[in-house]
Amino acid sequence: MTEEEDSSAKMSEDVKRYLKLDPRSSSAATSEPPCSSSSSSSASALANKSRNFKSFEPPCPDHVLENVLENVLQFLTSRCDRNAVSLVCRSWWRVEAQTRFEVFIGNCYSLSPVRLTHRFTRVRSLVLKGKPRFADFNLMPRNWGAQFAPWVAATAKAYPWLEKVHLKRMFVTDDDLALLAESFPGFKDLTLVCCEGFGTSGIAVVANKCRQLKVLDLLESEVTDDEVDWLSCFPAGETHLESLSFDCVESPISFNALEELVVRSPFLKKLRTNRFVSLEELHRLMVRAPQLTSLGTGSFSPDNVLQGEQEPDYAAAFRACKSISCLSGFRDLTPEYLPAISPVCANLTSLNFSYANISPDMLKPIIRNCHNIRVFWALDSICDEGLQAVAATCKELRELRVFPFDPREDSEGPISGVGLQAISEGCRKLESILYFCQRMTNGAVTAMSENCPQLTVFRLCIMGRHRPDHVTGKPMDDGFGAIVKNCKKLTRLAVSGLLTDEAFSYIGEYGKLIRTLSVAFAGNSDRALRYVLEGCPKLQKLEIRDSPFGDVGLRSGMHRYCNMRFVWLSSCVLSRGGCREVAHALPNVVVEVFGSDDDDDDDTVTGDYVETLYLYRSLDGPRKDAPKFVTIL
Amino acid sequence: MEGCPRNRETIGPKLLDLIPQGRKWYQEDKNNIDQEKKLELRLGPPGGDEEDRSAMKKNNNTETRNIKMESEDKSFQGFNSNHFSSSNKTSQKRTAPGPVVGWPPVRSFRKNLASTSSSKLGNESSHGGQINKSNDDDEKQVEPKREGMFVKINMDGVPIGRKVDLNANNSYEQLSFAVDKLFRGLLAAQRESSGGEGEEKPIIGLLDGKGEFTLTYEDNEGDKMLVGDVPWQMFVSSVKRLRVIKSSEISSALTFGCSSKQEKMRH
Repeated sequence: MTEEEDSSAKMSEDVKRYLKLDPRSSSAATSEPPCSSSSSSSASALANKSRNFKSFEPPCPDHVLENVLENVLQFLTSRCDRNAVSLVCRSWWRVEAQTRFEVFIGNCYSLSPVRLTHRFTRVRSLVLKGKPRFADFNLMPRNWGAQFAPWVAATAKAYPWLEKVHLKRMFVTDDDLALLAESFPGFKDLTLVCCEGFGTSGIAVVANKCRQLKVLDLLESEVTDDEVDWLSCFPAGETHLESLSFDCVESPISFNALEELVVRSPFLKKLRTNRFVSLEELHRLMVRAPQLTSLGTGSFSPDNVLQGEQEPDYAAAFRACKSISCLSGFRDLTPEYLPAISPVCANLTSLNFSYANISPDMLKPIIRNCHNIRVFWALDSICDEGLQAVAATCKELRELRVFPFDPREDSEGPISGVGLQAISEGCRKLESILYFCQRMTNGAVTAMSENCPQLTVFRLCIMGRHRPDHVTGKPMDDGFGAIVKNCKKLTRLAVSGLLTDEAFSYIGEYGKLIRTLSVAFAGNSDRALRYVLEGCPKLQKLEIRDSPFGDVGLRSGMHRYCNMRFVWLSSCVLSRGGCREVAHALPNVVVEVFGSDDDDDDDTVTGDYVETLYLYRSLDGPRKDAPKFVTIL
Repeated sequence: MEGCPRNRETIGPKLLDLIPQGRKWYQEDKNNIDQEKKLELRLGPPGGDEEDRSAMKKNNNTETRNIKMESEDKSFQGFNSNHFSSSNKTSQKRTAPGPVVGWPPVRSFRKNLASTSSSKLGNESSHGGQINKSNDDDEKQVEPKREGMFVKINMDGVPIGRKVDLNANNSYEQLSFAVDKLFRGLLAAQRESSGGEGEEKPIIGLLDGKGEFTLTYEDNEGDKMLVGDVPWQMFVSSVKRLRVIKSSEISSALTFGCSSKQEKMRH
C-alpha cells in the first residue's frame, strides 16, 4: 500500500486534475505509477490495476484504457507522435485530444478557430503561423490577412488556462492584445515574431495585466510608437519575468522604468534591449542583473564621450556577468568599446553581430576566444578573412548566418567562396547556414557538401540574379547538386545563381528529406518544377519567385498539394485557367491568386496572367476574410 | 496600419511605391517571339510605362544570358504573352537591371545599415559627431543618421575643387550659403595671387542670376542646368556635380553639349 501511495504522490497534478475518473475507481487509478516508458508498461499497469481494484464492478475496458492512455500520453510531447497516436482509433483520438496541451498550427488558414476549440479542450500553449515567408520581402500586399483576432476571440472563451501564445507573421492589433491580457489569468508567455499591427499601447496592456508573465519577446516585429511608456506599465513589486526582448521596437523607452523593472525581476535571464539604450545605460543594467544569460546590448555606443572623467568600466561589467552565453544587439557599435565583451567570449554559445559593421581586424581579437560558439550571425563586412578566423577557432559552430552590409545586387562583395570553403573546412559540425554573397563557385559549395555532412539547412543567396560560377562561368547546378547528394540530412534548401533545369533534377532526386525549398530567378522550364514536385517526397513548403514555371509545372504537383503546407509561386508564368484547374481538382486546397499592388480595387479580372499564386490545404474551405485583391478560385 | 516609420524603404508595394523602388525589368519587343513560345522571358532595360498597370504587374522577366547554356527546352506553356510586352519607354536610362522588389531577400530592418553605420567603420575610429540624442531629455530624439551625400563642386577661376554635403542642407538657400563658405576664401586668394584684390567678398546671388556667379549643376543624364528650378528633393536625387560659373557665361555654359531643358525652364 505504501508503494501505491508514494506513486500517487508522484503523479503530476495536471494529470490528477484532468483525469475524468469514476469516483469509486479513483483510488485505484491514482495508485498507478505514472508510466514512464512505452506500451509494455501500459500492459503491466493494466494488470496492476485489476489486481488492486477495490470496487465490486469490473471497470469498463474502454474507460480503463482511456485512463491508462491519458497517463501514457502525457509524456508524449512531440506533435508528430501525437498526430500518429490520434490516428489509431476513435478512442485514442479522443484521449489524445484531451491531453494535448500544446497546439501547433503552421498555417492559420488551414483550419478555423472553431475546429481547434472543438477538438482540443485543454490547450495551454498555442503556436500560430500566418503569412508565408515571402511576405517579409514585400511580395505580399498589406492587409492580406492572417489576423489574430478570430483566434484570440475563440481561445478566450475556450481556454481560460491558456499560458503561452507564440505567433509568427500574424497581424495582431492592440485590441487583440488587450483581449488576451484580460482573458487569461495565468498567462505566461507571449512571443511575437515578424508580426505587425500593434503598438506600444498593446504591449503596455499585456505588461500591466498579465501578472504571471514570464516571457515577453518581440522579435523582428513592427511595433508602432504610440508614445506610451509601456515599461512603466509593469505592476509594482517583484515580477516573474524571465525573458524580455524588445530589440525590434523602434521607439525610445524610458530607461528609468527599464532599470527599475530589471531591479525587481530577480528571475530575469534574457534581456534584449533596443537601440535606444546607450552603452552607459547598458552598463547600469548589467550591474543590476549579473545573472543574465542572454543580453541584447542595444546601441553599444556611449551617449557622451566623457572627457577626463572616468568612464564606466564596461569590461568589468561583462566580467561580472558570468552566465552570459548569448550576446546580440550592437545596433550602433562604437568600435573602441567592442573589446569590453572579451571576458565573456569563452562562454559564449551564441553571438549576433549582424547589425554591426565589423571589419576583419575588429573581429579577430574577439572571435579568437570564442571556442564554444555554436551560433554566429554577422555582416559580410567581416570579409573572407573574418570567416577564416571563425573557421580557425569556432569548431563547435552549428549555425552561421552572414548578411549583406549593402544588400544590393551590384554592391561590392566582400565575401565569396573563399570564406565558404574556409568555414566548411574549419567548422565540420555545421548544421545550418545562410550566406549572402556576390560571387560563388561550384567548387566552394561542393567542398561544403563534402566537409559538412551534418547540414540540415543550406541557404545560399548569390545576390546578383542568374550569376554563374564566377571562375568557370558555368551554372551553379553542380554545386547545389553536390549539396543534395552529400548532405543526407538536408531539410531546408534555398538556391540562387544561374541554375538550369538540371539542378532541379538533382534536387528532386536526391533531396529526400527536404521539407522547405526556396527558389528565385532559376530554372529554364516547367521541367524543373516537375522534377521537384515529382521528387522530394517530404516537401512541405515550396516558395518560388520569378522563374519560368507555368501551368504544366503546376499541374504536375496535383497529387501532392493536399499533403503540403503551402505552395507559393509569384512572377512566374501561370495563367488563371491553370490555377483554376488545380482549384477545381482539389477541393481541400485553397487556391488564392493576387497581384502585388493592393489598391487594385476593381474586381474585374485583369487578364489571364497570375502574378501570385498561394495555395494551401484547408479543412474548412476558403477563408471569409480575404481582401478584395485576393481571388479565391 | 499606421506604422511607425522604421527606416523602411518600402511600406508596402503600393503602385506608386513600386515605381521608384522596384524598377521593373521587362522585355524589349524586338527580342522574341516565336508564336509557339508565347512566353519569352527576357531582360531589357528597366522602367516601363508607369500608368500601364499590366506593365507594372509583370515584373518577372528572367534574363537569358548569352553565356548561358543553350537550353533547348523553353517550354513555357501556352500563355498569352501580352503581359510581357511593354513599351520601350524607359523612365531611367540605365543599361543594367534596376533593383527588383524584395531582392535580395533581406528584411527591411536589415537594409539601412549602409547608411547608418558607415561612419562607425573600425578603420576610422571616429565617434565624434555621435550626439544625435538630446542629453537632457528622457525622450531621445533620434534622427535617422544619414550618410553625407557629397558632390564635387568647382568654381570658375578656382583651380581647387571642393565637395559639398547635400544632405547637410535642406534648401537652396542653405546650399548657396555653403558654397559661399567653401569658396569665399579660395576665390579671394586666387584673385590676390593674380594681382587683384585679396579682400574676401561674400559670394551671393548664386541662384537668381544677379550675382557675379551663378550656381549650375550636372544631372544624372549629363545635362547642365541652373540650380534652383526644381523642387529641392528632386534636385538632390538627380544632381551629380555642381559648378559655380560666371553669370556672364551662363548661356554658353548651359547650351554647350546639352539640353534645351534649361531654356524651357527659364521661361
